[in-house]
Amino acid sequence: MDTIRLDTIQLKKVTVNFDDRFKLSEINWTIEANQHWVITGTNGSGKSALAAVLAGVGEIEGGELSGLPSKVGLVSFEAQAELIAKELKKDDADIMDVISLGTPVHEMIFDDCQDPKLAQELVEKFGLTSLLDRAFRKLSTGETRKVMLIRALSSKPNLLILDEPFDGLDAGTLTMLQEHLISIADTVPMIMVLNRFDEMPEFITHVAYLDKDSSDKKQGDKGRLTLTIDKNDEQAFGELYQLLHLKTTDLHVPDADPANKLPELDSSQPLVKLKQATIKYGDTTIVDKLDWTIEPGQHWQLSGPNGSGKTCVLSLITGDHPQCYTNDIFVFGFQRGNGESIWQIKQFIGYVSTALQWEYRVSTSCRNVIISGFFDSIGMYTKSTDNQKKIADQWLELLGMKDRADQPFNKLSYGDQRLLLIARAMVKHPPLLILDEPCLGLDDMNRQLVLALIEKICEGKETTVLYVNHHAEDQIKGIENYLGLKKN
Amino acid sequence: MANYFNTLPLREQLAQLAKCRFMDSSEFADGVEALKGKKIVVIGCGAQGLNQGLNLRDSGLDVSYTLRAEAIAEKRQSWKNATENGFVVGTYEELIPTADVVLNLTPDKQHTPVVKAVMPLMKQGACLSYSHGFNIVEEGMQIREDLTVIMVAPKCPGSEVRAEYVRGFGVPTLIAVHEDNDPKGEGLALAKAYAVGTGGHKAGVLMSSFIAEVKSDLMGEQTILCGMLQTGSILCFDKMVEEGIDAGYASRLIQYGWETITEALKYGGVTNMLDRLSNPAKIKAFDLSEELKVIMRPLYNKHQDDIISGHFSQTMMEDWANDDKNLLGWRAETAETNFEKTPAGDVEISEQEFFDNGILMVAMVKAGVELAFETMTAAGIVAESAYYESLHETPLIANTIARKKLYEMNATISDTAEYGCYLYNHACLPLLGDFMKDIKTDVIGKGLSTEDNGVDNARLIEVNAALRSHPVEAIGAVLRGHMADMKKIV
Repeated sequence: MDTIRLDTIQLKKVTVNFDDRFKLSEINWTIEANQHWVITGTNGSGKSALAAVLAGVGEIEGGELSGLPSKVGLVSFEAQAELIAKELKKDDADIMDVISLGTPVHEMIFDDCQDPKLAQELVEKFGLTSLLDRAFRKLSTGETRKVMLIRALSSKPNLLILDEPFDGLDAGTLTMLQEHLISIADTVPMIMVLNRFDEMPEFITHVAYLDKDSSDKKQGDKGRLTLTIDKNDEQAFGELYQLLHLKTTDLHVPDADPANKLPELDSSQPLVKLKQATIKYGDTTIVDKLDWTIEPGQHWQLSGPNGSGKTCVLSLITGDHPQCYTNDIFVFGFQRGNGESIWQIKQFIGYVSTALQWEYRVSTSCRNVIISGFFDSIGMYTKSTDNQKKIADQWLELLGMKDRADQPFNKLSYGDQRLLLIARAMVKHPPLLILDEPCLGLDDMNRQLVLALIEKICEGKETTVLYVNHHAEDQIKGIENYLGLKKN
Repeated sequence: MANYFNTLPLREQLAQLAKCRFMDSSEFADGVEALKGKKIVVIGCGAQGLNQGLNLRDSGLDVSYTLRAEAIAEKRQSWKNATENGFVVGTYEELIPTADVVLNLTPDKQHTPVVKAVMPLMKQGACLSYSHGFNIVEEGMQIREDLTVIMVAPKCPGSEVRAEYVRGFGVPTLIAVHEDNDPKGEGLALAKAYAVGTGGHKAGVLMSSFIAEVKSDLMGEQTILCGMLQTGSILCFDKMVEEGIDAGYASRLIQYGWETITEALKYGGVTNMLDRLSNPAKIKAFDLSEELKVIMRPLYNKHQDDIISGHFSQTMMEDWANDDKNLLGWRAETAETNFEKTPAGDVEISEQEFFDNGILMVAMVKAGVELAFETMTAAGIVAESAYYESLHETPLIANTIARKKLYEMNATISDTAEYGCYLYNHACLPLLGDFMKDIKTDVIGKGLSTEDNGVDNARLIEVNAALRSHPVEAIGAVLRGHMADMKKIV
């Protein structure tokens, strides 16, 4: 394999403007050719932004930036969202009344591919072979992530930027990817954005820590690079670890809105009962004859590898999957397919998932995003009450986002958006709270905040929690029922 | 079959053309009640058919699909669309006799054979719903007397009808009842329930008539929506190349320019679109559009007159009978234009640059929107209809050009719209020949070269006043206001 030489990348007092909504301020940073870096920091401090600068994103306002490599491989949520948005836009092409099928996976991977041999190898390793003919936008979150990774890894980059590469991957794939990265560590320098310290590969040599500076109200938030640490410096490394793990006791979950009364549920009936639930696309079976009953107060954790149908099963419950009408599903007193509307189902559910975050592509304020949880809508179409606003503000305070109530949601970082969507799911204290990998994109501190919130909610009587995750260490006190799905 | 509109007395023609009222949300208090428990069978499973069906089912209604036997036997895309989404699919013979409401969501051109095939199979007293009234109004299809005939037409592409519903909203929707076929007087209740079922009532419903819908829809699509954009694309491109502007740049400026400038139109009408220009450029665009309006007015009048008299639909149906000879010939001709054959260059054009360097395009959109609106209202169509069929839909069509140029636009719109578009284009290209001779790159391609942005106060006041007082702006403000009330996100 060719060893790719990289010049020293040097940032001297570099200030970068991102559409006037965020700035990285006076960054000083030197990346030598033989180094591998992890960028970390608090949510909204500009970790992804800094990584993207190395891929040429953002408007440089001041300072000097030199040595940027010509070919950068980039994997990030933003890039993934952009690709998905592009695919969805193709889908709008139907005033002509034809349903567009979207670009197939093999085209996404092999068109313009620099190293088809490696791409082919990775397709097999990632287990995507059977999905090559499927439309890219029909893939699950984890699967689209894999496609992004394969595209970047097989592009023969001379710098690889991996923004949260492990998020959303199941345990098997994660190990495989880590091994692959180790095997190429000698040939290509890597910059990773990682929220979780426990995922840091051995070969990482340096850590950069970013902090958010909100002191200037007029100018908006600024990200500053406050620490760069050699990983061998144990003391500095230990202090950084401390910095990222703050206490989350004394939490208070804001109250529900008393005016938002739900129809009474019969407590002797299960909340959810799936009988022999099956989901098929053409000849491919995603979920096969699943029986599952969720009783009130019985908290569940659902796990399984990418593509095992976790999200599909959840969408049978929420009513978002069209095949919920061909299955035997009982939810919240309704046997599905008997004249109930989807809104009668959704009123009982609080829901957060990566798919929801893709779909939440409307321009509305942060406060409204939380309030929209009362209406089960994406965006706000009804006037909110003063009390709903008050409750939303309590949530914003809890999340440390009080001063951003009126800022537009779609300009926030991925992690901050995620926090707001979690609050949106919890705001009405729903009888069933479905959290599909809620911690994706959250830094260590906010992850602990969210896990603590979930524990609090599990302790209460009103809400039954259904929690999906890959990370074995994210165990939640109070969850005692487990369902594991296998890949068919 | 005879043209239905032409069988009516003038008094009735005028009354029908003038129908269009923005409904109050309190009129939808009954929700989907009128359709509850009724069997709804959708004919056709394209984007409108599938997405409307998904919404109706999620609103608690009983929906299934009927396709032609061949489509089912060959497992065509429409069959896959319906079955993968868990719908029951059957032939006309199997499903139509069981239906209380039949939704005809096939392309216009197929309406006559489809309706002829399903009508004899329909239950006594059932309801037949259209999403476009051409078949009834222009082709004069006679529907069995016992059947109720309604129209429900979401004013957006199918995928948006679904996406907005899933968000908890809807898209603006036009409804109508064919009064000759409302034996039980339940047409309005059914149409309202259908609009609620697709989410339309949340975004605003217009109560119109079959006639107003057809005569305004045809006029809008032939002139401003498709015709003007096609003619404008060809003329602006050829002019820029002739003046030495890089062909790749010219191609990009036009392909993406319509979308960008009409986005401003969508948010704040013609006024906002011109407000995006510098003061000198605004005055220039205004003057050009005034000139264009004088030159093109007779053409807009002719299109409207031919639509009202039925001459347009008659000649088009003759072409249908002649294996679409004209349509296909014109389609091939469009593919051979220089604009169509020149790919957009790999240059970056900022959002503002599309305005600054596309003054003539702005002038063309303004002239087209205002002329179409003025011509429609002069023909007795009310302002609400005229607004939706001109200004409201322009950004939707511009969007298709951004995707794949004129090919995409013409593939996307109905054959009826495409035929009308070519008719317009053929007449309009020579009509603007002399006008284009005086056009230079300051208004298309490079932007004004003025060093300072000074303008005469009095002239600027005059232009701003004229822009803001046009009737399309008055009704636009009202209708967009309704939308904004309901849809805070815009």
